[in-house]
Amino acid sequence: MDVLPGIDPRAPLLEVSDLHVEFRTQYGVAKAINGANFWLSAGETLAILGESGCGKSVTAQAIMGILDTPPGYVTQGQIKYRGVDLLKLSENERRKVRANRIAMIFQDALSALNPVYTVGFQLGEVFRKHRGMSRSAAKQRAIELLDQVKIPAARTRVDDYPHQFSGGMRQRVMIAMALALDPEVLIADEPTTALDVTVQAQIMGLLADLQRERNMGLILITHDMGVVADVADRISVMYAGRVVEEAPVYDIYSRPAHPYTRALLESIPRLDMKGQQLSVIRGLPPVLTDVPKGCAFNPRCAYARDACRQDPAPPVYQVSQQPHRTARCHFFREVIGE
Amino acid sequence: MSDVVLEAKGLVKHFPITQGIVFKSKVGAVRAVDGVDLHLRRGETLGVVGESGCGKSTLAKLLVGLETPTSGSINVRGEDMVRLKGAALRRARRNIQMVLQDPYTSLNPRMTVGDIIGEPFQIHPEVVPKNGRQRAVQDLLDTVGLNPDHINRYPHQFSGGQRQRIGIARALALKPEIIVCDEPVSALDVSIQAQVINLLERLQNEFGLSYIFIAHDLSVVRHISDRVAVMYLGKVIETGHDHAIYDQPTHPYTQALLSAVPVPDPRLRGHRDQIVLEGDVPSPANPPSGCRFRTRCWKATQLCAEQEPLLQVRERSPHPSACHYAEIRDVVHRR
Repeated sequence: MDVLPGIDPRAPLLEVSDLHVEFRTQYGVAKAINGANFWLSAGETLAILGESGCGKSVTAQAIMGILDTPPGYVTQGQIKYRGVDLLKLSENERRKVRANRIAMIFQDALSALNPVYTVGFQLGEVFRKHRGMSRSAAKQRAIELLDQVKIPAARTRVDDYPHQFSGGMRQRVMIAMALALDPEVLIADEPTTALDVTVQAQIMGLLADLQRERNMGLILITHDMGVVADVADRISVMYAGRVVEEAPVYDIYSRPAHPYTRALLESIPRLDMKGQQLSVIRGLPPVLTDVPKGCAFNPRCAYARDACRQDPAPPVYQVSQQPHRTARCHFFREVIGE
Repeated sequence: MSDVVLEAKGLVKHFPITQGIVFKSKVGAVRAVDGVDLHLRRGETLGVVGESGCGKSTLAKLLVGLETPTSGSINVRGEDMVRLKGAALRRARRNIQMVLQDPYTSLNPRMTVGDIIGEPFQIHPEVVPKNGRQRAVQDLLDTVGLNPDHINRYPHQFSGGQRQRIGIARALALKPEIIVCDEPVSALDVSIQAQVINLLERLQNEFGLSYIFIAHDLSVVRHISDRVAVMYLGKVIETGHDHAIYDQPTHPYTQALLSAVPVPDPRLRGHRDQIVLEGDVPSPANPPSGCRFRTRCWKATQLCAEQEPLLQVRERSPHPSACHYAEIRDVVHRR
């Protein structure tokens, strides 16, 4: 593996600070991310939770360096991997970071795989390009990887094409590909959204096993509060391009500090109870070209006062030191106290 | 029973698999729906759950008449929809409408909202006279919680949740008794999902509607349903009141399905009774002999391969269950 200049093994595994991303479109500038902050340690699972358009996938793309430019631009902030700011690296250096140190799996495995090459060829390509292996050695490694992600009869399936695999098996192939070069960080962008629940359980179990074996940091991007409750250590809740709350998983479910988190938790139907009416978050998420002044959630918020409707947006308040919790709400004490 | 509004018996839909280009010959069949019985009472919601490929969407299409069943009958108000023809069929179809899954593709982008919701009135002109149609459409918009002044807007000017409301208004236009909802909220965000579910419940109370609610999200189905039918590979394998299915499931597949649903409560982590199934659903073109679930079942024996278990009440299952070894196991509440 190539050595990154300035790498510090004692620095945090991944640290994102004050990240801003905007999309310059013909309809105006859409501020997809307006100051996202979070960090990730080895062996830890951080869930980034939010609804469509909140900027959770764009955050992942910015970390990976696969943002579509144009129209997407990182305008501010730092993404530090072991102390090295990835945004300051050249494209060549970033390519070496991808897959070697930070890898990603996507929601739709069928469109993420190339339909005209066999799975074994695509897996082997990682070793041929990054490790300079021969075709036969690369194929051998591909078989081992398929074995590791528990694909039955890996030796025969390695020559199959993506369409010959079921949805769950395809996602396993994606996981195998992401883990090929032993990355320290894995970003999983809605890895099970397209799958059935019984298959989802298989895949989440597999990810947890692999993470434990390798002591990998996992960023799980999802909108599913159930999956998050099952696997995450910490949660960052995003709304309209900001991390509005950050807390350990147990605290956030029992005592949410941001009105949005609270409302989200109250609006999901639960399998283990039958409620009457679901409580509803009124209104709609904002359009990113026209985010409300002050706190972006204020038009939908039950706690909103005048202070929430005026710029600047609520700062990152420290809710508690131990455990570390933050919330971007002026009235977090009121929200959490109830 | 008099308050049964819909009854389907022995519903079968096989899609032929053909070979050859000029001389086509049938080489097999995808048995999408393979013998389904169900009934629906007035004002009731029947939830249909199952994983992709289990035939739940084909069942929806059969019920509203978008597909013709290979065999079986669908009785609505004493008339067999499958045998009806011409004007009688048109009239009968008014009574059973559908809400589709994806509000982005199920609304024509070139039609205004008024035209979309008013289209049923063009097909069934006897329902509302021509001069009253705009008024009727505006009333419908109001009923589903949209601004009646937006009648001339196009679908792209609405958000996902609002579009699904338009789809619901269209289904309500002909004042049906039955609405088949095929995954009506699965394309929506959580915060919007709750709005649409509450709307469906309000409309049900207001108009005495009966719903067939098809979804893969078991939590949503539990919330809205009075009774639930669980499907696997074209068959209903367990059915009963929602508390029977969710609190006392007896079929191994139902138990596995329920145990796989993540519960949004981290305190239950590691304390839930989780059954992780091996492998994938077999192909409906070539289902296993006997019990269709036996290839993934931990209880399967020789008997399961030889004899197909019928959907019936059993010694250890107070509600109908299609398993030789049906037995209550509460996987949702066990700590």
